[in-house]
Amino acid sequence: MLILVTGSTSPAEDSGYDQVKSILKAHCFRCHGVRKQEVDLRLDSGPAILRGSGDGPVVKPGDANNSRLLDRITSRDKSERMPPEGAALTKTEISTILAWIQSGATFPKNDQPESNPADHWAFRSPKRSAIPIHGTNPRVNNPIDAFLAAGHQRSGLQRVPQADPTTLFRRVTLDLTGLPPTPRELKAYLADDRPDRWSRTVDRLLQSPRYGERWGRHWMDVWRYSDWYGYQKQLRNSSRHIWRWRDWIIESLNGDLPYDMMIQQMLAADELPDATAESLRATGFLARNFYLFNRNTWLDLTIEHTGKAFLGLTINCARCHDHMYDPVAQRDYYRFRAIFEPHKIRTDTIDGHTNADQLGLSLAYDAEPKTKTYLFERGNDKRPDKEHPLTASIPSFLPGAPLRVEPVALSPLVYYPGLRPSVREGLRESARQLVTDRQRAVDSLATAAGSANDGIASDSLRVAQKELAAAKVEWDSLNARIDADSARYFGQDEDAAKSAASLAAARDRQARVITAEAAVLRAELVLATAKSTKDKKKLSAATKSLESARKSLASASAEAANTSSNYRPLTKIFPSTSTGRRLALARWITSTDNPLTSRVCVNHVWMRHFGSPLVPSVFDLGNNGRRSRLPELLDWLAVELVERGWDLEHLHRLILTSSAYRMSSNPSLAPAHTRNADPDNLWLWRMNTRRLESELVRDSVLFVCGHLDDRMGGAELAAGLGETTARRSLYYRHAPEKMMVFLDLFDAASTHECYRRDETVVPQQALALVNSRLAIEQSRRLARRLDRTVGADDTVATSQAFLDTAFLRILGRSPRSEERRVCLEFLNQQARLLSRPDGLTRFGKGLKVAIPPAKRPHLRARENLLLVLLNHNEFLTIR
Amino acid sequence: MIRSPMTSRRDFLLDTTRGVGSVALAAMLADDGVLRTSAADAVPAGLSHLAPRAKSVIWMFMVGGTSHMETFDPKPALTKYAGVSIDKTPFSDTLKNPFVDENVRIVVPDDANGHIWPKVYPLQVGYRKRGESGIEISDWWPHLGEHVDDIAVIRSMWTTDNNHGAQLQFHTGRHSLDGFFPTVGSWIHYGLGSLNDDLPQFVVMGTPIADCCGGQGAHGANYLGPEHNGVQLDVNPARPLPFATPGGALYREEQKGQFELLDRLNRLTAKEHPDDAALRARIKSYQLAYRMQMAVPEVMQFSSETKAVQSAFGLDNGVTRTFGQQCLAARRMVERGVRFVQIFHGSNGGAGRWDGHSNLQKGHARLCQETDQPIAALISDLKTRGLLDETLVVWGTEFGRTPGAQNSNGRDHHPYGFSVWLAGGGLKGGIAHGATDELGFHAVENRHYITDVHATVMQQLGLDAKRLEIPGRKRLEIDYGRPIDAIVA
Repeated sequence: MLILVTGSTSPAEDSGYDQVKSILKAHCFRCHGVRKQEVDLRLDSGPAILRGSGDGPVVKPGDANNSRLLDRITSRDKSERMPPEGAALTKTEISTILAWIQSGATFPKNDQPESNPADHWAFRSPKRSAIPIHGTNPRVNNPIDAFLAAGHQRSGLQRVPQADPTTLFRRVTLDLTGLPPTPRELKAYLADDRPDRWSRTVDRLLQSPRYGERWGRHWMDVWRYSDWYGYQKQLRNSSRHIWRWRDWIIESLNGDLPYDMMIQQMLAADELPDATAESLRATGFLARNFYLFNRNTWLDLTIEHTGKAFLGLTINCARCHDHMYDPVAQRDYYRFRAIFEPHKIRTDTIDGHTNADQLGLSLAYDAEPKTKTYLFERGNDKRPDKEHPLTASIPSFLPGAPLRVEPVALSPLVYYPGLRPSVREGLRESARQLVTDRQRAVDSLATAAGSANDGIASDSLRVAQKELAAAKVEWDSLNARIDADSARYFGQDEDAAKSAASLAAARDRQARVITAEAAVLRAELVLATAKSTKDKKKLSAATKSLESARKSLASASAEAANTSSNYRPLTKIFPSTSTGRRLALARWITSTDNPLTSRVCVNHVWMRHFGSPLVPSVFDLGNNGRRSRLPELLDWLAVELVERGWDLEHLHRLILTSSAYRMSSNPSLAPAHTRNADPDNLWLWRMNTRRLESELVRDSVLFVCGHLDDRMGGAELAAGLGETTARRSLYYRHAPEKMMVFLDLFDAASTHECYRRDETVVPQQALALVNSRLAIEQSRRLARRLDRTVGADDTVATSQAFLDTAFLRILGRSPRSEERRVCLEFLNQQARLLSRPDGLTRFGKGLKVAIPPAKRPHLRARENLLLVLLNHNEFLTIR
Repeated sequence: MIRSPMTSRRDFLLDTTRGVGSVALAAMLADDGVLRTSAADAVPAGLSHLAPRAKSVIWMFMVGGTSHMETFDPKPALTKYAGVSIDKTPFSDTLKNPFVDENVRIVVPDDANGHIWPKVYPLQVGYRKRGESGIEISDWWPHLGEHVDDIAVIRSMWTTDNNHGAQLQFHTGRHSLDGFFPTVGSWIHYGLGSLNDDLPQFVVMGTPIADCCGGQGAHGANYLGPEHNGVQLDVNPARPLPFATPGGALYREEQKGQFELLDRLNRLTAKEHPDDAALRARIKSYQLAYRMQMAVPEVMQFSSETKAVQSAFGLDNGVTRTFGQQCLAARRMVERGVRFVQIFHGSNGGAGRWDGHSNLQKGHARLCQETDQPIAALISDLKTRGLLDETLVVWGTEFGRTPGAQNSNGRDHHPYGFSVWLAGGGLKGGIAHGATDELGFHAVENRHYITDVHATVMQQLGLDAKRLEIPGRKRLEIDYGRPIDAIVA
């Protein structure tokens, strides 16, 4: 680039340094700033720029043509040009720097270098600050309120009063159960005059199994739940039976499993000492990342979302180069990867005999402990740096002890599925069934042979008898092997274990011989039958299988003389040790001095109660994230969470019993100066108004219409059944491109990632709630129900009662007088309209709806009204 | 009434955006003719980045991979050296070209993929010069050939997926191994506003791509959010979109009463909550929904079109009817201001019908026949109505096919060089840009990665792709592409 330097200019007041600094920050700080000082050069402060590099000055004030800095940013030689990666500086940027140098390269006296990114607030351990004291304000009954009040005072804001009890009761019920309250619950609450009715309500709702479903779905967002996904039967993404992880999440929340335990089990249930078949489901968190086509993508996703979900750290940004904002070197990314390098996903049998694709448990385990991890140059997997294999570790800038990796001797239940009760019972049951079936076969053949008395029939009987004998010894062998397993893996007495093993081995050998003999007999019979039919294909197949049966018999017989105490295990046995890397990571993440974990958790919980998080960038608490608006509050809650044993219910209770949670959401209740000073409610002077999430829309429609099927758990249901079956929405398939359209329209969680839901308002949502089979059928269903409870007659009194009940059920309140008037008018008008159908136009073909409209016009008008209420803004809104 | 009580749309929006963390309003703003340059909670930036030359796009995609050599890129050498191994032809260097390795990321190497087929397979169709420009187009496009002076053929496209994930890639710009990203239509939907309040602005017709090859992702918005997904419409006035109508038993008058009651009730609530922007957005969204419910079936109702028009689009012929209907519906939509209409042709639940591994001659001849007349009618109809200047018509496919024979009578997947064409919207007509080598193997002259088509389309619509940024979502240089200036008029 040709640069024209036109005489020197006198230094002006504003030297343009601010602009220069922001240009340098964008292009140069990464390698010439606080984190790195390539060629001993820093460009992040005026003095540093003038000091220059190890080779001398780079800027000559007033003489841009002799400033090396300018040479380098304008060089045409690619190997010379700075920055070495990414786009060159634009002409405007270059001329800004040029002008600054020409004008004397001046800068403000107090110019500060870039601060150290490791000093970032979220990387330091949270501390409890003193709870601000707020006189005798009765609203301040909880530390949360004290911190908020202090914030309001500092900003000159005045918070709104509490919401009315009806609104509050609906709010907390939806928040904790995902369903609106029933009229009966509301009535009971309003009639309760004891002073602790609120805290008892919170306790009751937290104890409801619906709490696990509601908050389970929230955590499924954060932990990136997706059902398996593939093309036809081929699994490509996530894992089969991942619903077991979903059920584990729900059960863990309902069982009040502490948050740190949840993390440990999700990352390393297999490596934990007290692993059980139930806890292994937790590793669905890892199994969810399986990706058929590319192991690197699979691990990249694992790294990215472990970092974002638990730590609020965008480690993934360091895959191709050092992190742009946080002190995470590219090498750190691959060291983090080394933690996950050995793990793979397997699918264990549940009952020992059903194909694990149909009935199984997918879990993480260390399959490849020896695989080395290399840094990929610029993230390119074709360029691994094989000279320098990396060991597992976590970025060193965070406080706390470094990762302590020790190999783990796994619990036998983990590496040997045959020890799990469900597998043993399943095998026993199928062995028992085999005996029963074969006994039945013998019995019926015996009857037939008795009457027919021909050769084939008696041969068949003989074979069946042998097969029955085989089934019986297999049954014995199975039990002996189970006993031997128990003695060996769980018993204390070594001698007893040895003798149990040799007994099992003997039974096993015996069983194999008799089974093989039965197989030979069966093959001979098949061959004889084939000979009589003269079918060449059958004949050759029968000959072949007889040969192989004889071979098996020969080998079984040969082994019969063996005296070893080896027997066939009930299932495949996997490696009995694990690298312990994931467990070490899990313990590091959940150690009490990890500064990020508790803050991230508190932030997620807070956001889902208040509608806005304390730190707006919920998955990035790093330098590029946003600052907490109420840092003292966040930290106080984070410390509280840890000190109370990571008890999530305690955190919920603390938040929900605060006065802040009970504020009205109506901004007009605040003085104008508050509304104008903080229109976005950043300081929480009122509650935020929220829209129901997609699942809540569907579940609430079903619930208020009295049709929700509240069975819990189980394999995912086909998304296509969502409008015609009534289970809660979180039980339907949630996978890329395999989601319920209805839910998708209401901003269901993206299966790729969803740390925070969107809340859009689009016309397609209106169509879904007006025209869907779900909404229409449910409104008609509710109408039928109300016909029975309030009466089906066409009088004003019944219409009034109908309106009261309908409003209460759907909106959780009585109609206001103006609403009542409008609705009565509608009922009349609509009934009149429908009583003269000749002049009306049908929509014509379209949706098939199972429940037809009512025949009598005034009842049909009621159905119409109920559908309207299901579309009412207040039905879809949490106030 | 549904319409009357509202203040003007602009006032409403100004009113409702005041002081709101307006995630809830994202969709409302997006279709307000307001350009957006950043994430949902940023305020729209103003008008287009550049002076727009076009308003709408009709994007036709041939599913399975159309052979460039039998459509828009004549290679007589193939016939001359038919049956000869490429390394025995004078063009043996082709196989040593570094692009052979660099150009491609093989997804699933197996018997069917990732191979070079050395034995040259002759051209399966004749060519002739067409129009004043004399551009050669194959004889399978007799109708389109008459409009060659309106189209810009690009003969030097390349992509990197040698399997049908390239279908997804053609729309997102990213190899399927990288995952799902926003598609070109969703970026345009996101970046530009609406020209019509009664219709969805990003419409998809034809059976979408199968799950093997990108599925819904090929018209999805991914991280831009579901409101920017393409809305699938069927050419069926009775049920053109999900939840379009409430079914047979209901009366229109009955439902109108419901919408009116809802409007009144929500307005009563709005009195209690005068500052609730989401509530006001919801009132508006129901009004839009009500109108959409009327307007969308109307678009699919062709009775107002003359017999001559219907016949020109091939509606009276079983072979051309389906695609003809989609083309006619597309024209009716752009006429009404729909921004982006994406039409898939050849979906079959798998790789697509254009996937001519065998029987290429028969297959391609039929598929061209299904589309040729409707496409020609679309161009000429747009032109007659003065709409071609403001409508970009794009014809594309995921990759070309191999110069060498696969099996006895087919061609394999070929990402190294293939053809697409564009028309209207301020582009030149009668131009053939770029070239493959003599065998049609590598794109060698003016090579264009597929996102160059995206960039060209966006530029003509007045959008600068690089300014459509979502914080926290890193885009690569290759995602943006570069406008193909040589074809801009």
